[in-house]
Amino acid sequence: MTKAAVAYSDVLELPSETLLADYPVAAAGYDEMCSAPGKLRPHWREIAKTLEEIGGEELERRHGEVQRLLQTDGVTYNTYDDLRSSQQHWLVDPIPLLMTGEEWSDLAVGLEQRTRLMNALLADLYNQRLAIRQGWLPPELIYPHPGFLASCHQSLPTGFRGLIFHGVDLARGPDGVLRVYGDRTQSPAGAGYTLENRIILARALPMLYRDAPLRRLASFLETERTTLAGLARHHPENPHVVLLTPGPNSPVYFEHAYLANYLSLSLVEGEDLVVRDGRVWLKTLGGLQPVDVILRQVLDAFCDPLELRGDSLLGVPGLLQAVRGGHVVLANALGSGIIENPGLAAFLPLLCRQLLGEDLKLPSLPTWWCGNPDDHDYVLANLDQLVVRSILPSGPYWEGHQLDDKLRAQLIGQMRVKPYLFVAQESQPLSTAPVLEGGKLLPRPVMLRSFIVAEDDGYRVMPGGLARVSSGLDTLQAALQKGGISKDWWVLAQTPQRHVSLLRQAHGPIVATRDGSDLPSRVADNLFWLGRYSERFDGTARLLREALGRLLEWEQDNTDERCLDDLFDALEIPVPPVAESPRARFFALRQTLLSLLLESEHPGNLQAVFNGMLRTGRAVRNHLGDDSWRLLNRIQHWVQESSPGLNARQARELLEEELMLIAAFCGLNNETMPHHQGWLFFDIGRYLERVLRTLELFKLAFITARHPGVPLWEVVLTITDNLTAYRRRYRSALHPTAIIDLLLFDEGNPRSVGYQLQRLQRHVGRLQQPDSSPYRSAEERLVLEAVSTLQLADIAALAVLSHDSTHSSTELSRLLDALHTPLSGLSDALTHSHFSHAEVPQQLITMRP
Amino acid sequence: MRYTITHRTEYQYSSGVALCHNEARLLPRETSWQLCRPSQIRIKPRPALSVERQDFFGNRVLYFGIQDVHQRLEVTVATEVRVLDERSFDESSASPPWKQACRMLGEDPDPEIIEARLFRLDSPFVGTHRDFRAYAEPSFTPNRPLLEATAELNQRIYEDFTYDPHFTTVATPLNEVLSERRGVCQDFAHLAIACLRSLGLAARYISGYLETLPPPGQPRLVGADASHAWLAVYVPGAGWAEFDPTNNCMPREKHVTLAWGRDYGDVAPLQGVMTGGGSHTLTVSVDVEPNPEPVKSKKSKA
Repeated sequence: MTKAAVAYSDVLELPSETLLADYPVAAAGYDEMCSAPGKLRPHWREIAKTLEEIGGEELERRHGEVQRLLQTDGVTYNTYDDLRSSQQHWLVDPIPLLMTGEEWSDLAVGLEQRTRLMNALLADLYNQRLAIRQGWLPPELIYPHPGFLASCHQSLPTGFRGLIFHGVDLARGPDGVLRVYGDRTQSPAGAGYTLENRIILARALPMLYRDAPLRRLASFLETERTTLAGLARHHPENPHVVLLTPGPNSPVYFEHAYLANYLSLSLVEGEDLVVRDGRVWLKTLGGLQPVDVILRQVLDAFCDPLELRGDSLLGVPGLLQAVRGGHVVLANALGSGIIENPGLAAFLPLLCRQLLGEDLKLPSLPTWWCGNPDDHDYVLANLDQLVVRSILPSGPYWEGHQLDDKLRAQLIGQMRVKPYLFVAQESQPLSTAPVLEGGKLLPRPVMLRSFIVAEDDGYRVMPGGLARVSSGLDTLQAALQKGGISKDWWVLAQTPQRHVSLLRQAHGPIVATRDGSDLPSRVADNLFWLGRYSERFDGTARLLREALGRLLEWEQDNTDERCLDDLFDALEIPVPPVAESPRARFFALRQTLLSLLLESEHPGNLQAVFNGMLRTGRAVRNHLGDDSWRLLNRIQHWVQESSPGLNARQARELLEEELMLIAAFCGLNNETMPHHQGWLFFDIGRYLERVLRTLELFKLAFITARHPGVPLWEVVLTITDNLTAYRRRYRSALHPTAIIDLLLFDEGNPRSVGYQLQRLQRHVGRLQQPDSSPYRSAEERLVLEAVSTLQLADIAALAVLSHDSTHSSTELSRLLDALHTPLSGLSDALTHSHFSHAEVPQQLITMRP
Repeated sequence: MRYTITHRTEYQYSSGVALCHNEARLLPRETSWQLCRPSQIRIKPRPALSVERQDFFGNRVLYFGIQDVHQRLEVTVATEVRVLDERSFDESSASPPWKQACRMLGEDPDPEIIEARLFRLDSPFVGTHRDFRAYAEPSFTPNRPLLEATAELNQRIYEDFTYDPHFTTVATPLNEVLSERRGVCQDFAHLAIACLRSLGLAARYISGYLETLPPPGQPRLVGADASHAWLAVYVPGAGWAEFDPTNNCMPREKHVTLAWGRDYGDVAPLQGVMTGGGSHTLTVSVDVEPNPEPVKSKKSKA
């Protein structure tokens, strides 16, 4: 009898070489799918059949599809290094992890109890501290842990739960028992990724998901939303709930933006909020708006530089006092980080009996706290079977059996000095689950993360969660930074459940709003700079493309290449010194141009400009449409394609591609962003950058050029994409007067300074002014100055211009300067009127031990 | 003794402060040996909100937020206090040998003793180290009673160290104080605490005031006093015994208690975070005025 025949007693005709028959499950240990080699667990039968039908090759193809979908959706996970190199793409395995409904029900009961217990412990530790006074918990386990914040003592108003969200990491040992490996309470990451995994997998593998009898996730997220809104006791009608994120550099910023969108919350950073009159306010273009509830994704200690870490730039000074006053509710409460202390595991059975009067249902990984002399002795005697960990957050760990004599002596020495900072955990092999690798299924160790949310008087557990491939030693964060793989965790239902759309439907009347005055000032600031960077990218790419084109023409046809000198000036890069041979000159010029495509010293290089776009774009992630975001990801792909090995032709093709994408990006934003305040800032940013660049190009072509004349003028027309327009209109050789009219005065030409000024004037006039003063704002006056200067210009005096007339070039020079001065002041004026409150708070006294 | 304590702090900023949030630990705490009348608090400019609460250690904290643009912040707190001549510490009970005290701290299930264990642990300004232990050890011979040993440590710090207000700042590390043998009251208190904790004992930091007497024949100068700091060691079974290594004494009625905590960081008199302000200059003056007459029951404003 073949292995497959054992597994498929009800399936008769199976090919001899199959996906599942080859699954090399180990004889020892526990596998989620197979109870023995070739022997499927019953609840895997249905999906095994489907997987078999799809086949390894097709699964691999779909897997590629999944990764592509995730990438274009911008699902990333970044480390704290610099932006470009740091974003890791989220990796998802297409094979789900299955759990029976019965097992999950038991697990959910245990998890619910654990969350209740942790909530009770939190309440006790920040009020009576009975657990410590009565000796149920040693003070040496709690007080040295940075998660315990003495400032939070009695900060939670009565009647509020400290734990609203709870993430629990689980794994199954060789005996088949699920045990808790850790708790996450400060910002339990993963719920958003779980949802995104499910959506993408269902899209890429409809045959697997369409009729699968699995519990759906949507209602869990709905509970999150209701719970958050319900926390606003003072403002139950239309509560203002915000999601506080550390910002785009946070490893899980994608999730913050995703959840904010999904749960309809404002995505804010610390500097968007201010405490006045004991309340928390959101700084918007239209003034301060009260905030009722904060879904907090910033670590406890960083939330309030007044009472917690003074060096934090992510928090809001005075926040803890606002919490004490009861005017704002944080989920989770500040101070909840103490629950993440791994040493608590050793005390939970006793705490559960004392605090809840119940027996602990869900076991933790066996844990010894070295602060207890007996446990300390046990740990030293059994080091080989144990993993020793520091109780401190992200502290190091040591696998006993891997320590050489020197490391072992070091560890024992450290443990002797401050034993209470160490715990030891049993080292158990984790259960394995099938993972698709190279068209085959291979058993890999897995961990699970469960999510629990408060609901009415109790807690609700997400039916499923995030599974990931792991050895069990690393944290989720550490694993993902190394490029870990996640899996969709299915909880099976009795009957197939229709795959319902996860898009939420409104549950009551909502107040119609237009994205206007309630736009956070920081978002306006970032949209303005996104506009400027986009245009800067476009302008630089156009200059580069033109320069490379001229270079290639010169190489092939030996054309006049002198205008390259001027192009180098326009790009603000030094012209390479005179070379020995044309060949050497070609390479020198090419090298210099390519340096702008790559990361280089030059501040205007395309990578740096694109990083600016990406940084500002990520900061306003939920103000951009999904397609815009995909375009940004595609541009990133091309920008990263640049390598020093490119030749001039390849580089030019790359630029062509990027120019198309940037045009699509800007165009799509025009088409999809509502034309309210946010878009206005984006558009003002773009056109301000464009008009400044156009003026500089003009100055170069007609005033400071090293080699003035037709070739250079042609370059200017090409760069502004106006050569065709010129030819159509004049059908003649290039004449400066005609060029000046087309690019300076013709208000019907979007590339002309005249048009750009009109547009700026119109949009600046529409900006909401913080104070409704009857006078023109500074920025309106500046644009008006530029517009009037242009309109009053003496065209006749300029009309005599030719490349040898010094007089008119003085006239033109004066005009260009008169236009440039007010416009270069416009950026500062906008910052002052609309974004100025981004000032960093400072400490009255510096206390650094 | 009866005193009126006036503690005035003034900040001058080089540019306007638009918004500031502050925490003051300037209201003396009530204890069984210290009675306080309601303090007179004057803050300029006027805070939009001020709230008093008790912190984790039971100290009185005044939060205040100022929302008017200002270039000068002035905080003056005046409190009449009466300090009794005996601390709550039970001096009649013989202090246990110090090693036994360490053992009791580790094992005794008495909730008060368990609570004291917080003060055995490292804190931001006071870390334990074998160097501190080594400095303390000559006084802590086996079987020596805890109080006797601590009193000698207190005296040795007084004799070995030079009071030098120009040597240290808040940020001077404690090992530097130990190696250079100089510092101010805050350093000596921290050092004694570090020594005690390095031996496994519990010790806490106390901030307060001390009446300074003018040289004979000269009038008392108003505002010439300063904040003071000393420490207390926990004696299982008897309570907290206070020591002042700067003056080689056990505090009595001349030591007015303001607040206590693990170290200076827990009891800094005035902290704040502000928007704007540029650079600033700070002026502090403290006046400890003895009140010869019993305090009449006149009303003070809070």
